[in-house]
Formats: sequence, C-alpha cells, structure tokens
Amino acid sequence: MKKSITIAKYTLLEVLKSKILYNAIFLGLGLLLITYIAYSFTYGDPSRVALDFGLGTLSLSSVGIAIFIGVGILSREIESRTVYMIVSRPVSRSSFIIGKYLGLGAVLILNVLLLSLITLSLYSFIGGEYNYLIPWAVALTLLESLLVLALVGTFSLLSGKILSVMYTIVLYVLGNSISSAMSTNFVENRPGFKAILEAYHFVLPAFYKLNIKEFVLYENLVESSYLVGSLIYCVIYILALVLLSIFIFNRKNLD
Amino acid sequence: MLEFIEVSKVFSSDILKGSFTAVDNLSFKIEEGTTIGFLGANGAGKTTSIKMAMDFIRPTSGEIIYGSKLGKNRMDAFSNMGYLPERPFFYPHLKGMEFCYYMGELSGLSRAEVRKRVDHWAPKFKISFALNRLLKTYSKGMLQRIGFLVTLLHDPSLIILDEPLAGVDPVGRKELKDIIEQISEEGKTVFFSSHIVSDVEQICDTVLFIKDGRLVFNGSVDSIINDNIKPSSLVRYREGGELKKVQVSDNDKTSFLSRLLNQGAEILSVEQERLSLEQIFYKVDN
Repeated sequence: MKKSITIAKYTLLEVLKSKILYNAIFLGLGLLLITYIAYSFTYGDPSRVALDFGLGTLSLSSVGIAIFIGVGILSREIESRTVYMIVSRPVSRSSFIIGKYLGLGAVLILNVLLLSLITLSLYSFIGGEYNYLIPWAVALTLLESLLVLALVGTFSLLSGKILSVMYTIVLYVLGNSISSAMSTNFVENRPGFKAILEAYHFVLPAFYKLNIKEFVLYENLVESSYLVGSLIYCVIYILALVLLSIFIFNRKNLD
Repeated sequence: MLEFIEVSKVFSSDILKGSFTAVDNLSFKIEEGTTIGFLGANGAGKTTSIKMAMDFIRPTSGEIIYGSKLGKNRMDAFSNMGYLPERPFFYPHLKGMEFCYYMGELSGLSRAEVRKRVDHWAPKFKISFALNRLLKTYSKGMLQRIGFLVTLLHDPSLIILDEPLAGVDPVGRKELKDIIEQISEEGKTVFFSSHIVSDVEQICDTVLFIKDGRLVFNGSVDSIINDNIKPSSLVRYREGGELKKVQVSDNDKTSFLSRLLNQGAEILSVEQERLSLEQIFYKVDN
C-alpha cells in the first residue's frame, strides 16, 4: 500500500503541475458568470436557479475532467513507456493501478471541492437556504466522477482512447436516462424490453442513482436508505472496476 | 543471476500477416560480476528479450529464472535490479530531483538516502545543474543521464541497460562508458544492449550476438577475437631513414624478418593481425 501511496502522491503532483486544474478554475469563473446572468434574468426563485446551474455544471465538469484525465491514466503511461520505470522496481502491477486511481481520485476531489465551494458560496450570497441534501448532492457528484474515472480507465486498458471516451459517454448517458426510460409506456407495454433494461442494472452503471438534483431543487424528501444505498452501490461499483483494471493490467503485455 | 532457458516470443499481428517470431529459442545465462554486451542489429530481438527479462511482456514459451542471489521472489529480485529503457520518456511535469525522489521512494529509500545518493551520482553524470528543472526541458542526452542515475539510485546488483548510449553526444558517450566501467569494476553485473559493436568491445568482457531472434554467439570478447586472428602480421620497419609497413603471411614471416635484418633494416614492430569485434560481427551477420 505504501508504494501505491507514493505513486498516488507523484501522480497528483504531476497533474497539479500540468495545470489541468486550471480548467476547473476557469470553469468555476464561468460558472459564477453564468449563474449570475441566470440569476439576474430570473423572476420567482433566483436562488434555486443558481443552485440548479451550479450543481449541473459541477456534475458535468467533474465528469468531463474525469474522462479527460482518466483516458490517459494508463494508456499514456504505457505508450510513453513511463510505466517501465515503475514496474521495473519492486512495485506490483496492482500497486501501480491502485496508486494511479488514488492520485487521479485526489485530483477529482480537489476539483469538486473547488467548484462546489464557488457554487455554494454564490448560492449562500444570494440568499439561498441550506438544505440537508446539498452535501449529499456534492458527495454523490464526486462519486459519479470517480465512477466515470474508473470506467474510462478500465476501457482504456481494452481499447484506444477515442473508443474509450465514446464507450464511457454512452454508458454515462444511458445510465442517467434509463430510469426515465423504464417509466415510459413504451417500455411498460413490452415486458421483454423491460426485462433487458432491468438486467442492465446488474451489469452496467446506473448513474441516475447518483443524481439527486431534482430532490435538492424541489426540496423533496429522500429516504436516507436511498442515499446510503446509492453511495454503497457506487463504491462497490468503483471497487469492482478497479479490481477489473488490475486483472486486465496483470495480464497485459507492456510492449 | 538471470537465466533464459529456451525462451521464445511470438507476436500475433493480424490474420492476413500471420505471426512474427521476435525471439526464437534463446538460452543464455548472466553470471554474477560480468559485463555482458548484448549485440544485434536493429530488430534482432534485443529489446524484446530485455522486456521479457523485466517481466513487461511474457514469453510465448521457455522460462526466465531469477537467480537466488537476486532474491527469493520477484519483488526481491526487482529490488536488486536496475533498468534503463531504450527511449527515456519520463514525467515531463516533474523536476529532475522530484523524479529521483519518486523512483527512490519506490525502491524503498528514504528521501534523505535519495538525496545522499543523488549527491554522489549527479556530478558523475554531470546533471547536478538540471535537477531543479522540469524534465520536459531536458534534452535527450540529459534524459538519458537522469534515467541512468535513477537506475543506479538503489544500488542494484544487476543493471540492465537497453541502448544506454543512443542519442548521446561523443563526449557524453565517453562519460557514460566510464561510469559503466566504474560500476563494473565495483563488482556489479551489467547487461548492456547495443548495436554499436565498438562500445561493447570497449566495455564488456562477454558478448552475446543475436540475429533474427536467435543466439549466434555467446562467449568472451577475447575468445571471439582470438578465434578470428588473421594468419598474417603487420611489420613496421625503418630502412634508409624511411618508415615502411608491410603485411606478411605467417608462413613468410620468419624469412621476411631475416631478410630485413640482413639488409640492416631496423624492425620497429611485428603485430599479429586480427579482426576487430565489429569486423567479426559483420562477418557473422552476413
């Protein structure tokens, strides 16, 4: 584990120095600007608009950065052969994978903290009220980005960068929309199709479980068991993907 | 320390082109304390063999055995091995010193130990001035030097260098060769791949020739050169104030020298002619 922490530390340092997090700062500034414009032109409940924009942008930017850094997490190491310098030392391949995910996970945590701080500061500044679901929404957004990171990282071990990004985006969109799709009459009237969509939950990631923005915005109550269940589901899924990455990487020829 | 036993590596390309055998039934042993030159043309299978030795890729058949002197298991063995890849691409956004800390910590060294060893090696590699610079600002030669430095950082007993002198200027080549000779004199085992024969002749005591993935020669540099001595000598002499040199066959040597002495010529040297390792390599290669 010590070797994984060392790899994570220097991966974080490398990413921070590569100025990728500058994107997060620019996004944050853009977010402030967009939210301010939306707030200025809104009648009714402007703080809700600010929160809606804020959480939406937070989610999209975190997922975007997760894909951007995640697709190169392992493939770049293999292509540029920097991985040789690591695995030629007394470091197991599994320690390498865990270290890389931990390092990039730390990047995503910093990104979400930065953007959520900007969003919530603005929300608070314009008179928005605290809702117990807001921290949950931020935490689940972070988990969503970590899941995307693990997903794109795993795909990148199996295929090229472009395909990995495409697969991840497709699964992200599917995973977010499947819940709505299942409640349509079209699906309800087709038991076979419905069974396929239900089977989806057991295999592919159900991102909709991590999206509670609607509940936050309309101050609906959410049972804590649902929140904890979503959290556990996501953590288990991430761990499974990391294990899958280790399994693939252990068998991969690094040529 | 390390042994290849009938190792082969076949790469599957595609259905139309079929497969490609990069290494074919390769067997050799790296003995402790030797400096071995691994010679072969580009594409001969040197880097593929080294990648298998480092467990980056697995052999299609055969076995690679890490000797007990390297350690009880893979982790122990890799603690005692140092490896420099063919093309040094390191982390561009890290500084040279940060990279040394990174590699040292992965080898189980403390930051203080890394600092101490960098202070020892950096002046020898003439890279001290660049340790606080980002690696992306390094030239290829500088990357080779810092890569070599981190290879030696954890004091490995087996050092595997894949084309360590490629892309280095003549002065740099001389300096790196001096360092290889120095670590070799310290009793380290050095396995050194190259396609530049004169480098191997200068540094190594044992040579492995590989061609099309097959081992062509495995033996000491001296023995291969002695086995390829020409049956002729080069005689240098002074006659009538004029310096002359003549190549004579071994059969005619004695009579030729007697004649020179009778004529009052001054014989300066008689040197048995031999092929250089490079000439032998071309001979074997063709």
